[in-house]
Amino acid sequence: MKPFSPRPLLTLVAALVMLLFCLVPFGYMVLTSFARQPDYLRKQEGLALTLEHYHDILSAESLHFLDYLRNSLVISGVSAACAVAIAALAAYVLTRLRIPGKGTILFGVLAASLFPQVSLVSYLFKVMNALGWINTYPALILPYIAWVLPLSLWILVSYFAQIPLDLDRAARVDGCSRPQILLRVILPVAAPGIFSTFLLAFIFSFNEFLFALVLTTDYQARTIPVGIALFQGLHGEIPWGRIMAASVFTTLPVVALTLLFQRRIVQGLTRGAVKG
Amino acid sequence: MPSDREFKTALLFLLPLLLTVLAFIAVPVAGTIYDSFFRDVTFLPRRFLGLENYRSLLADRAFYQALLFTLLFTIASVPLEVVLGLVFALILNRPLPARGLLRAAVLIPWAIPAAVSGRAFELIYNFSYGLANYLVLTLGLSDAPVNWLGSSYGAFASLVIADAWRTTPFVAIILLAGLTAIPGDLYRQATIDGAGTLQQFARVTLPLLKPVLMVALLFRTIDALRVFDVVYVITGGGPGGSTNALSLYGYQYFLSGDFGYGSTISVVLFAVALALSILYVRVSGFGRELA
Amino acid sequence: MKRSAVWILALCLGLLLAGCRQQPEARLTFAVGGAPAELDVWEEFVRRFSVQTGIAVEMLRQPTDSNQRRQGLLIPLKSSQADPDVFLMDVVWLAQFSASGWLLPFDEAAAEFFPRVLDLVDRHGGELVALPVNVDAGLLYYRQDLLDRYGFVGPPATWAELVAQARTVQTGERSEHPGFWGYVWQGAEYEGLICNFLEVAASAGGEIVEDGNFVLDRPANRQALAFLTGLIHDEPISPPNTFTQMKEEEVREAFQGGRALFERNWPYAWAQHQAPSSPVAGKTGIAPLPHFPGEESAATLGGWHIGISRYTDRPEQARELVRYVTSFAVQKEMALRLGWNPGRRDVYRDPQVLAELPYLEQLRGIFDHAVARPVLPYYTQVSQVLQRHLNAALAGWVPPEEALRQAQAEIEAVTARYRLH
Repeated sequence: MKPFSPRPLLTLVAALVMLLFCLVPFGYMVLTSFARQPDYLRKQEGLALTLEHYHDILSAESLHFLDYLRNSLVISGVSAACAVAIAALAAYVLTRLRIPGKGTILFGVLAASLFPQVSLVSYLFKVMNALGWINTYPALILPYIAWVLPLSLWILVSYFAQIPLDLDRAARVDGCSRPQILLRVILPVAAPGIFSTFLLAFIFSFNEFLFALVLTTDYQARTIPVGIALFQGLHGEIPWGRIMAASVFTTLPVVALTLLFQRRIVQGLTRGAVKG
Repeated sequence: MPSDREFKTALLFLLPLLLTVLAFIAVPVAGTIYDSFFRDVTFLPRRFLGLENYRSLLADRAFYQALLFTLLFTIASVPLEVVLGLVFALILNRPLPARGLLRAAVLIPWAIPAAVSGRAFELIYNFSYGLANYLVLTLGLSDAPVNWLGSSYGAFASLVIADAWRTTPFVAIILLAGLTAIPGDLYRQATIDGAGTLQQFARVTLPLLKPVLMVALLFRTIDALRVFDVVYVITGGGPGGSTNALSLYGYQYFLSGDFGYGSTISVVLFAVALALSILYVRVSGFGRELA
Repeated sequence: MKRSAVWILALCLGLLLAGCRQQPEARLTFAVGGAPAELDVWEEFVRRFSVQTGIAVEMLRQPTDSNQRRQGLLIPLKSSQADPDVFLMDVVWLAQFSASGWLLPFDEAAAEFFPRVLDLVDRHGGELVALPVNVDAGLLYYRQDLLDRYGFVGPPATWAELVAQARTVQTGERSEHPGFWGYVWQGAEYEGLICNFLEVAASAGGEIVEDGNFVLDRPANRQALAFLTGLIHDEPISPPNTFTQMKEEEVREAFQGGRALFERNWPYAWAQHQAPSSPVAGKTGIAPLPHFPGEESAATLGGWHIGISRYTDRPEQARELVRYVTSFAVQKEMALRLGWNPGRRDVYRDPQVLAELPYLEQLRGIFDHAVARPVLPYYTQVSQVLQRHLNAALAGWVPPEEALRQAQAEIEAVTARYRLH
């Protein structure tokens, strides 16, 4: 007989508290998005539910919610894809070829991620301006690629480093060139890693705020975080219902991705960390 | 020695990476540093000022206020997030029902853009009908609604909480990876040696987790120093400028058309971040094995 | 191997080019910001203008947030881009925009606009560089029904009367409405706080600029700031979140929800208060803001002005558009449909407009006494400093004299930076 141990129970309670901490604000967002008035907590008559906020954001063209969402999806998707492609090429070199200065490159790139966005943004603005790209997709895609590259590179290097070199050797014996090895041998084996890197790069780009705030001016290129942060009515009135509906609607795909690919995301994040 | 051909391949493969980082990170940073030596204002002719902007900055009380807030915010939020993240990681590492779902649920706050969750917290702290006052009044913790964002302490704490909500999951997942990498044998050995739970934690968990902890600390510190979106959305720097972060202060100058002074503020922020990173790397030996 | 690298580079380049927006051909670009519903009305105006004149116009829809709108104009102007050709500007940006040489002067006389407004803000170096599209001034809204019930005759003329009335009514109403407040106004750390402060200061005989120099630390200014702080902390007839959350819309909601006796707001609130669904419809009155004994009421000048970019590639068409937007017919329609106070004086005498918006009669007089915020190209920087210190005083952390002294010192430093070189 095992003596009674309070530990599993304590763990369970702790887990519940943790869950509450993580989910209560989100639940509040969801509730407010369905509430007719945002002040339902104060009023005696209580909560009146409605779908009108969702209807508004999806149908009122002048709110441009769907434009923001599309911009965000395209910009984050393309940025993440490019970043992963570039990082994969580099990670292959850094893990497979003997060249001088590997550590310097890896650290240089990692150091690049330490710069505060605000110290890049004024110059990026001038460059994009000179190119006439303000308020276009490239104005965000290019900085985002650079912005998520360090993370992508870091994760992919740790993935590629775990792929046995024997595979390369076998492929070389078969007469494959370097690019062929990367395409036919490494990438298929590292596919899960590539995917989790892509997911992370996507989420990081999707959440970026300052670049999007400065480098875009309207719905033609503005992304969701900025769109929602500046969601306002006349004279600064705050349409809480719509904001929360838009937030929940935006968060759903990301949350769905998180729920579906939780294992991948965790792997991606942990690769970067544990190896370092 | 690598063959000539191999070297060319390497170069070609690295080229996109180096070009992107150079063009969109290194050059802009250099440009910002360059601009900080100029008067670059929309309504006056551009002029070389030397260190004049830096001299003005040293006499600028608002700058000190922003610097102080940024440092305090980092000092308050990073340890909180790391400790909370560690607790979360320890919980997630225990055998629990529906572990996968639990992990996914914990990741939700992190997946929401900070600007968006910032707005949610803005509503939570709302004086007249926010969730925070509802809870405080319902639970009887206070008989009058609390003006959360009304004092410098309140606004500060509110920002730290909103930031912790969003970033603790990130820390937790990184630390969880470190925890799962610790071999179970070590714990069994410790148990045999008669170590209690706390002793196990102090003797086995913490030392082995140190590298990962350092990574989490570094990432979070850098991120906290450049905090922008949470502050921009929730307090906008108020009340009385008490929560004006350096990033936000720099942005305000860009916005008003003074690019030179804005750049100067950014350079100082960048210098602070760099100094702290070097300190971390020195202290922790972070990434030494890679070089 | 080389091919794959080339392929990747080509892909990246392709993406860049695909993302490039096509340059609009021969078109006038007009940047307007505002709430979505307002922008729809603007679009209709622009369409009509195109039909009338055959000039193609692309309307650039900007957000509501004034800082964002400013950024959206600053970016293209700073880089001398031809678009937008015509845009709306907040009254406080005019000095910066004109000093930066971004505005094309108008040559025509503008007799139908408020002369005081034109003199205060629309002229730069003797040239007319902008025209008011709508003009705003701070007003006092009051609950007629409550004043009647508590036996007060008419709205307060002095601040002391306002405090006395507010205290009585607040005490009386609190028994039924615990969240009832005497006076709500804009005290959060943003531009609106400056407007509120300047009105009270001017109504004490104070000013913040004298002969081109800042003079914050004056008795009248101290009196004004101490009075505002007292409203929150001593009386208290203004809610504690005045200095954290109270902006125009929060204030309007409180008053419209029947939770306040007096409200300081811009004229836009009138139409909303009087809307059929509003709980205070038919119970609301409008008056000039109170003043201190022996002084006069004052109202801060707000509003939006239209200007033409120095870099426009079609100045004649741009002038045509400005003439259209500031025409009697469009201004009148703007007043009727958006509740905007027209920039033209003659609209205030139009019988149809007066029938629908009776308060315009009163407003016409208020604009002749409007107080402008300092007309300086670096006003934004000054405003940031001032907002911070005024707000700190309202929060009760710093005594009013101290806040004004500190603000004065910091503003002098800012001024020195932009003036000397």
